[in-house]
Order: sequence, then structure tokens, then C-alpha cells
Amino acid sequence: MAPTLPSSDQASDQDNWDNGRLARKRQLLIEIVLRNKLTALVVDGDTTCRVLEQLLLRSYGVQTQGVDNGRDAVALIASGVKLDLIIIDMILPVLNGLETTRQIRDMGVHCKMLGVTICSRESERQVFLAAGVDVFIEKPLDPEHLVPILRELDGQ
Amino acid sequence: MERNPMRRQLASLRKSLFDQGYLDEQFMELEQLQDDANPNFVEEVVTLYYRDSARLIVNLDHALERRPLDFSKLDGLMHQFKGSSSSIGAKKVKAESTLFREYCKSGNAEGCMRTFQQLKKEYATLRKKLETYFQLARQIGPMESANRPK
Repeated sequence: MAPTLPSSDQASDQDNWDNGRLARKRQLLIEIVLRNKLTALVVDGDTTCRVLEQLLLRSYGVQTQGVDNGRDAVALIASGVKLDLIIIDMILPVLNGLETTRQIRDMGVHCKMLGVTICSRESERQVFLAAGVDVFIEKPLDPEHLVPILRELDGQ
Repeated sequence: MERNPMRRQLASLRKSLFDQGYLDEQFMELEQLQDDANPNFVEEVVTLYYRDSARLIVNLDHALERRPLDFSKLDGLMHQFKGSSSSIGAKKVKAESTLFREYCKSGNAEGCMRTFQQLKKEYATLRKKLETYFQLARQIGPMESANRPK
């Protein structure tokens, strides 16, 4: 299917608005410098999401690993790995995100947990928060949500 | 200002993908992660998405053939598919995913099936458009390297 090319090359108001937002996001991407070495775990059954979230974290210098199911997440944490941040999806294979979160908290792990998931209802958000995540973020994870959290963890 | 006609064409093609609602600003986030060290990053992620989500499409197709429909299972599969689609900025695909999940929640079998057919169309259309886009980008890439001052 041939693409439809716009008839004019002039920047529209929408273009300017988009470029402004993009410039602001670029600032967020480059202006944070972490003083401490932060570590994170991404728990997501979807490969694309998991890879992107890990890459985003690594772009800020966060040492990151990923697992694709809740059981492996619990096992990794039970092995003694110290983490500053856990990013977890609600729906996971093997052991769902809610139960995984509860088990992690039950182990006495107090690190920051972000529930990053697709959500269409307030009830789902509340359930995830009640399970133990500190922050609920609707996918996709973006710098505007992530950077303030990284700053907080870095003590900035 | 774009001097090279091919770069102008690429920019126009890119703009049209946003203007026509195929992509949202999440795609721009991916572009932010692309640099000289990873010059084909966006294409690689999109390729990963289509490879990985193909499995979900097959699973959804099979699940929609069962009678009665297991709406909980369908919703779970679509939850994952929607998350994946949203991560690359696939706006229309994401919209159909949302609609599908609404039909799952209300137990509307016909709605699910109809929406899934539309979703597959949007998914395929986006793939073709992005293939065209990346093909052009790859042609320009080596030209830019060749033209860069040494």
C-alpha cells in the first residue's frame, strides 16, 4: 500500500506542539546523571516490553536484568539479589503479577516496585497497589514517569 | 532543512504514519533510544514485536475457535498483545485491542470476533507501512555515512 504524502512541507501547529514535547522528553533523557549504581529487575512475559523497559533503564545507567515470569522473579529475589527497583506487569505466566508482588513483599523486600501494565479499570489499579506495588504506571513505561523515580532512588 | 529528496521523502512518510493515526508518540520514544551505536534499533524492535506477537495472534485465533469462548483467556492474551503493541506506538492496533478487551468483559462473542478481524487488518497494514519506511531509511543510512565529512 503506497503511503500518502502530505501536500505541504510547512510545519503545522500540531508539528510544533509535537516537537516541543519531543524536545522536553529529550531533555529528560539526557539531563539525569545517576550518582549511585542502581540495580533493577524487569518482570514481564512479553519480550518486546521487557526488552524495551530494560533498554530504557540501561540508557540511564541502571544495571538491569529481566525475567519473563513471576516464579523466576521470586526465585531470583529469594537467592539474595539486592535490587533498588522492580518493574512488574500484572499479568504474567506461571505466577501472576499480583501474587508475585505479594510474595516479594512477604519476603521482606522493601525496594521500589512499579506496576507497569495495561489497565482499563480503576479497580485493577487499586488491586495492584493493594498487592504491594508503590506506583502504578500504564504501559508503555516512559521517561516522564521513570526519571523522577530514578532521581528519588538516587537521592537527588 | 531537508536538502536530500530521499530524506524529505522519509520525513514525509514518517509524518504520514503519525498523521494517519498508525503511530503515536511512543514510536518517538523508541527513536530516542536509537543512536550511532544502534543505528537500526527501531527496526530491530519492530521486527521483534512482529515476531513475538505473531504467536499471540495464532493463540487468539485458536481461542476464538473454541465454543464456548473463554473470555478470561481471551482477555489475558489480548492484555499481553495490547501491552506489546503499545510499546512500539502501534496506535490503531492498540485501539482495537482496547475494544476487544471491552467485548471480552461484556461477554460479547460477536464483538470479539469482529474486532479481532479488524485488529488483524490494522496489524498487517502497519507492518507493510513500516517495512516501506525502514527500507527507505536503510537506503538513506549508507548514503548519509558516505556523505558525512571525514
